Amino acid sequence: MPSRALLTAATGMQVQQQNVDNIANNLANASTAGFKRSRLEFQDLLYQNMRQAGGAANASTNLPVGLQIGLGARSVASARLFTQGDFKQTNNSLDVVIQGSGFFQVRQTNGDLGYTRDGQFRPNSQGQLVNAQGDALEPAITIPTEATSITIGKDGTVSITVPGQANAQNVGQIQLAIFPNPAGLEALGGNLYKETGASGQATVGAPDANGIGAVLSGYVEGSNVNVVEELVTMISAQRIYETNSKVISTADRMLGTINQAVS
Amino acid sequence: MNYGLYTAFLGMRARQRTLDAQANNIANASTTGFKAERLAYSTFEADKKSLSDRQSLVTGVAATNAIDFSTGTLQQTDAPLDLAINGDGFFQIQTPRGVRYTRAGNFSMNASGQLVTKSGDLVVGERGGITIPNQGQISIGEDGSINVEGSTVDKLKIVRFNNPTNALSQDGGSLFVANGTQAPLPNTDSRVLQGSLESSNINPISEMVAMINNNREFESMQKSVTLLMNDLGRKISGEIGRL
Repeated sequence: MPSRALLTAATGMQVQQQNVDNIANNLANASTAGFKRSRLEFQDLLYQNMRQAGGAANASTNLPVGLQIGLGARSVASARLFTQGDFKQTNNSLDVVIQGSGFFQVRQTNGDLGYTRDGQFRPNSQGQLVNAQGDALEPAITIPTEATSITIGKDGTVSITVPGQANAQNVGQIQLAIFPNPAGLEALGGNLYKETGASGQATVGAPDANGIGAVLSGYVEGSNVNVVEELVTMISAQRIYETNSKVISTADRMLGTINQAVS
Repeated sequence: MNYGLYTAFLGMRARQRTLDAQANNIANASTTGFKAERLAYSTFEADKKSLSDRQSLVTGVAATNAIDFSTGTLQQTDAPLDLAINGDGFFQIQTPRGVRYTRAGNFSMNASGQLVTKSGDLVVGERGGITIPNQGQISIGEDGSINVEGSTVDKLKIVRFNNPTNALSQDGGSLFVANGTQAPLPNTDSRVLQGSLESSNINPISEMVAMINNNREFESMQKSVTLLMNDLGRKISGEIGRL
């Protein structure tokens, strides 16, 4: 039936619509620090078997190929790509980037841990390092108000100098979390991710050891959105959307032709 | 029985199925590793009483589909678990329904560190499922060997078929199922490319041209139905008029 083609083309239009929605979100976050772009993954839907391949054509021969008609496409996953974004120098020692894999841990207001790649931390009124929403870095690091300079080492050690003291004081160490499957993390918005059953358990450790990336202070990690690539994907999504709509008009014309035949 | 009418009907039905297949191809224009379906027509003859008996000959057209296994364009993604096969090989996938094959190498890890497809089915290596330790950079060689920080963890199982069109059927979810006519052979010259994906091998332009052509053929057959029915109507009214 041409109506099968109609429904199939509708699935094609739907996935391209979702594709454009996803591209729009990537582009909107092109300047968001630590943002990781996501990509929609598509799969073909089920097939209707009209003639089974390998079935008996007669007593001695088998059908070499069958007849299978597919029923369209669906989007199966929005896979987040955790490739490194560009590093922008800020010269602010509390802007920290992770070189390699790993996430900063912050304690959200609801008590849950959130994971982020956005390492722009600032001291709050009590001197505790927090992110832009005020969620405290975990484990907590407090910078005394009298500190004149802050240094963060590759392994996450935070040290400060205070007036009147020659030696730097160690005030804590940033710990990073890694996951067996970071793509399985759930995005919460606000640059935060949440652990899920798909991401696996977080392994927390010091930076620059055991497969955890090193930290680098004085830089901000830009988003990993490549605007040109997104635009190319958007153009192709739009064209495929159009082609699917042509299938709908063709199927409609064929149905119209049948109606003419019986009139 | 009016055989001409039946022949025209078979032709129209075959074109409807072709449109269905074209709609599926176009709907999957962005599906990674998707292979186009092509309907092949074959004539068939039925109700033939003898070779010289032209009167009782019904000819028509039936369709079978063949999967076009030509390679789609390779798209660079730079994600470490996006793999494409340059050559005629397939990744072997273990699903709860049995072994499947795919060209879609958009893999990920699951919570226990196993390499899986986007539907969660295990990607098969030399020793069954592939577990990748969470220890740093994953690099995958052209032969499918998986290295983490310099040490080899496992090797992807890549298989090939002499004639994939006859050996494999579509199973949905970017997977193919073997119909048992050919055993999978070890890979000979396929190379695995890390950081790339194989796009679907649909060419929207040629699909559109084929679709327009198909639609016109359908319309011509509808014309022959109209003509045959008018002809039939005239004959019947002529016969009745003579009575």
